[in-house]
Amino acid sequence: MAKKPQLAIDTRPWRDTANNKPFVRIRNVSKKFGDVLAVHDVSLDIYKSELFCLLGGSGSGKSTLLRMLAGFETPTSGTIEIDGQDMTEVPPYARPVNMMFQSYALFPHMSVEQNIAYGLKRDGLPKAEIAARVAELLALVKLQDYGKRKPHQLSGGQRQRVALARALAKRPKLLLLDEPLGALDKKLREETQFELVKIQESLGVTFIVVTHDQEEAMTLATRIGVMNQGEIAMVGEPTDIYEFPNSRFVASFIGSANMVEGIVTEDEPGHVRIRSAELGCDIYVAHGVDCAPDQLLWWAIRPEKMVLSREKPTHPHGANVTSGIVEEIAYLGDISLYQVALDSGKRIRVSQTNSVRGNPDAITWEERVYISWGDSSGSVLTV
Amino acid sequence: MTIARDPTIPPPRRLKPWNAVERGLAKVGITGRMLVLAAPVLWLLVFFLIPLAVVFGISLTTKQFGRPPYSPLLTTEEGTVQLTLQFNNYIRLFTDNLYVAAYLSSIRIAAISTVITLLVGYPMAYAIARAPDRWRNIFLMLVVLPFFTSFLLRVYALTGFMRGNGVINQFLGLFGIPPLVMMQTDFAVYVGIVYTYLPFMILPLYTTLVKLDTSLFEASADLGARPIHTFLFVTLPLSLPGIVAGSMLVFIPAIGEFVIPSLLGGPETLMIGRVLWDEFFAATNWPRAAAVAVAMLVVVVVPIMLLQRAQGAVVEK
Repeated sequence: MAKKPQLAIDTRPWRDTANNKPFVRIRNVSKKFGDVLAVHDVSLDIYKSELFCLLGGSGSGKSTLLRMLAGFETPTSGTIEIDGQDMTEVPPYARPVNMMFQSYALFPHMSVEQNIAYGLKRDGLPKAEIAARVAELLALVKLQDYGKRKPHQLSGGQRQRVALARALAKRPKLLLLDEPLGALDKKLREETQFELVKIQESLGVTFIVVTHDQEEAMTLATRIGVMNQGEIAMVGEPTDIYEFPNSRFVASFIGSANMVEGIVTEDEPGHVRIRSAELGCDIYVAHGVDCAPDQLLWWAIRPEKMVLSREKPTHPHGANVTSGIVEEIAYLGDISLYQVALDSGKRIRVSQTNSVRGNPDAITWEERVYISWGDSSGSVLTV
Repeated sequence: MTIARDPTIPPPRRLKPWNAVERGLAKVGITGRMLVLAAPVLWLLVFFLIPLAVVFGISLTTKQFGRPPYSPLLTTEEGTVQLTLQFNNYIRLFTDNLYVAAYLSSIRIAAISTVITLLVGYPMAYAIARAPDRWRNIFLMLVVLPFFTSFLLRVYALTGFMRGNGVINQFLGLFGIPPLVMMQTDFAVYVGIVYTYLPFMILPLYTTLVKLDTSLFEASADLGARPIHTFLFVTLPLSLPGIVAGSMLVFIPAIGEFVIPSLLGGPETLMIGRVLWDEFFAATNWPRAAAVAVAMLVVVVVPIMLLQRAQGAVVEK
């Protein structure tokens, strides 16, 4: 699905850092809990109206980072700036930031309306204004008829929307969402994803979303920050993260990737040649790589970037073709996933689109097949 | 792996000597569940309902000399059984200022003590509920620790503190402060009740507070509420069931308290428990004492019903 078609390149501020001021500026932030380093020296710039996803496994520090933005945790070192203001010493209740909690944290003793009005009442807004604002928010999340209900009388999806409405009530400049869709079932989650993006775009609020679900991150985000063991492993647009991972961790964490070890045999400005014993062939990469001859490195390729054939394809440089025996086939409908055992014993996953209906000539189990790929299909990884 | 059973061999018969008993009881309509329920019902009947009925019966008689020291409820005269009910004991409760004053004073003392216990106990319960896991059980243990010694002993020990030459006055004396009169005052009674009943307030409060999701407090702060507002609008309303339960557990027994006002209170500390005691032992007016006791029950039943409603509300959630 084409995402955010109205976002032309010139409206992506992170691509032009010289002329755009970041809205959230995280500078060398670390957080220690006792001896445990939860967040380690994280620096991150997030721009206005972004929908930024912090993606990582459990214990990667993504939630701690979010809680520091909300003010529930104080950084052990480093600074956090929001809209040009240093937030390090500002208590949660004084920050121009609202958070949507993973558990939703709806007040059980208050009705939906009272929950949404809570923040507005604390600000001492006049009654009529609060009522108008609450009605507006209920309409936004399509819960007009549920204002008088208590949270325990709502379904999971409805609670999620109340939590969103409550977090948006004070028109925060920055909304933090902790696993906003985590508690919903798959179908509801997919619907809600697009609704969330729509709301974010129509209000122009900056969203920072924490999630462990990469599909969710890919669908929602303008940019993704991949976190691993308290550090930011990579920041980039979803396509960058998927197609141009900067490390073995990112390549294997996002989607699935075949990864092999190799040794550089030719290192030219225009191409690189890597010999891989695991792969049983040479890898010809049609662009220069920052490496040295005889250097040990890794090469990763996505299953859909490879082609299976019964005849050996030819390659001008005598590389990028290997062969093996089909071990497993997983038929997923739109694609089939082949697991091929190479002669070295290494197993490679290749996916093929099922473009022919009920193809009788499809490659099947125990067949010897050739695997080939384009000169720029894989990523050379040095870390 | 499982071994398939040969279907031609019947399954082994288990010997259940109880089966015969069970079947026999079932024939007359008695199930195991009824037997289990019978135990507490029987207990309540023998040790609560029957004695209560006896007390109620006595309250409808008049005092007389002899044994027992009250007029018989049932008399036989010329072969007919005669039931004599006298309500003047109850009428006296309303007409004699002593009783009305004692009830009002008991309720007042119990209510004030409950409020003080709540004010002292709430912060303690809150602190325990928010303490690190490993400390919590130690703190709870400390709360319950006084129960390990006799209640009477603990109340006596308080006199050692509050006497004219007690610990507190000796300490004040070091700074040249003249001794305070604490014993035989209402103050001493409040100290005694608050001290004795504090655990009954802390424990239900703790159980409600410890269950509260901390993300609710964070959500409140996040929405712009200062800590005091978070307490007033989130913590306090959500701990209401604990407040009600704890207050009832203090208020109800405090109304009928006898030992604490006798040992610590002065002659002017009027509480219904003492009136009851005097009526029973000093005046040997059993019927009047019984009427006082029955009336006290009525005074206490209303808060108990409130307590049960509050607990019902908790169960609903």
